[in-house]
Amino acid sequence: MKKLITAFGLALLIAGCNATTPEKPAGKQAQYEAALKNAQVAVDKAASVGGEWRDIRWKKSKKKYLPSAIEAAKAGDYDKALKLLKIVQFQAEAGYKQAMAQKNAGPRF
Amino acid sequence: MKKMLTLLLSAGLMATATQAISSPKQDLDHFRTYFEQRFPGIQLNNFGNGPYALDASKRLQWESMEEFPPYEEYVDKGRDIWETPFKNGKSFASCFGKDASKVRPKYPHWDKASGKVVTLEGDINKCLKDNGEKPFGWKKGKIAHLGAFLGYEARGAKTNVVIPNDPKALQAYEEGKQFFYAKRGQLNMACADCHVYYAGQRVRGNVLSAALGHTTHFPVYRAKWAKKGKGDGLGTLHRRYGGCNKQVRARPFKAQGKEYRNLEFFHTYMSNGLEINAPGYRE
Repeated sequence: MKKLITAFGLALLIAGCNATTPEKPAGKQAQYEAALKNAQVAVDKAASVGGEWRDIRWKKSKKKYLPSAIEAAKAGDYDKALKLLKIVQFQAEAGYKQAMAQKNAGPRF
Repeated sequence: MKKMLTLLLSAGLMATATQAISSPKQDLDHFRTYFEQRFPGIQLNNFGNGPYALDASKRLQWESMEEFPPYEEYVDKGRDIWETPFKNGKSFASCFGKDASKVRPKYPHWDKASGKVVTLEGDINKCLKDNGEKPFGWKKGKIAHLGAFLGYEARGAKTNVVIPNDPKALQAYEEGKQFFYAKRGQLNMACADCHVYYAGQRVRGNVLSAALGHTTHFPVYRAKWAKKGKGDGLGTLHRRYGGCNKQVRARPFKAQGKEYRNLEFFHTYMSNGLEINAPGYRE
């Protein structure tokens, strides 16, 4: 019984350690690279229909989410970069949908 | 019976299509009627005074500003630019004609040869390039000074944009119209939201102007643009378009790009018949 408890305790310890080990930077980097690629495609798609929003990458925007994400990744902060790319992805997709929905906009009077 | 149903359906479809595509003249009539009903008692030309036509206290402030208008010195600068010969001895008069008062009312117009909407600013820079001079920036500075002078000289002349019965011209007009009514940016707002449906209402301390008469007073002197780092206060219509787009958190388009030229075509046509009163003063 004592052996069984020790083995169980050890198993729990190993499992716990695995769960709290931070993801290797290489994994985050790959995640970032994939997210960046997707975001860039989405931004270009929104821009192609005139639906790009201000804060994605416009040079005079104070936020510039996309360039900021690239900068954060260069500094090794992949968590921040991924967080910013999530915003870019959302804004680009929303901008595209908005432009398409407004394709036939006209007066409401 | 089947034939009858098909016929009825076709007729219905045709009627819907006719309703959806209205002619520029019909658009103008609806636009004018909307504002006349919305703001009864305001004279047509008064719409060219923007928010000062709609709010009595703002109008008093504006009238006191107009006693010593801050744009006056830029009209003089514009006159100097107009009169100063180029290096080759020619001047702007060689491109636009000697009578400065006749220049502004010609713009914007449709150019069949290039298949584009031509703006005053576009032709100013074309004139400079054709004469071996360096073109001006598009949004402020010398281009706005010269525009202010030409607008001042044309005061009292009526806006008279012609939309020719040319499919390309009509397409440019329709694109400008779509731009005006399309919601954009993170705030999901169209030009028309502020300047048609909410015209006369307040956004913080500012009164939203009516789109009718918008283009008559450009280039405009804005107190906001006279702040440090923003320029001398004077700016072109396309500068303002960019500012509006930025405010609704959309990425602005390039000044004098196709989008804003087509918008100017539609926007100015909607003010046909109103007197040019450029340059104007705005907050």
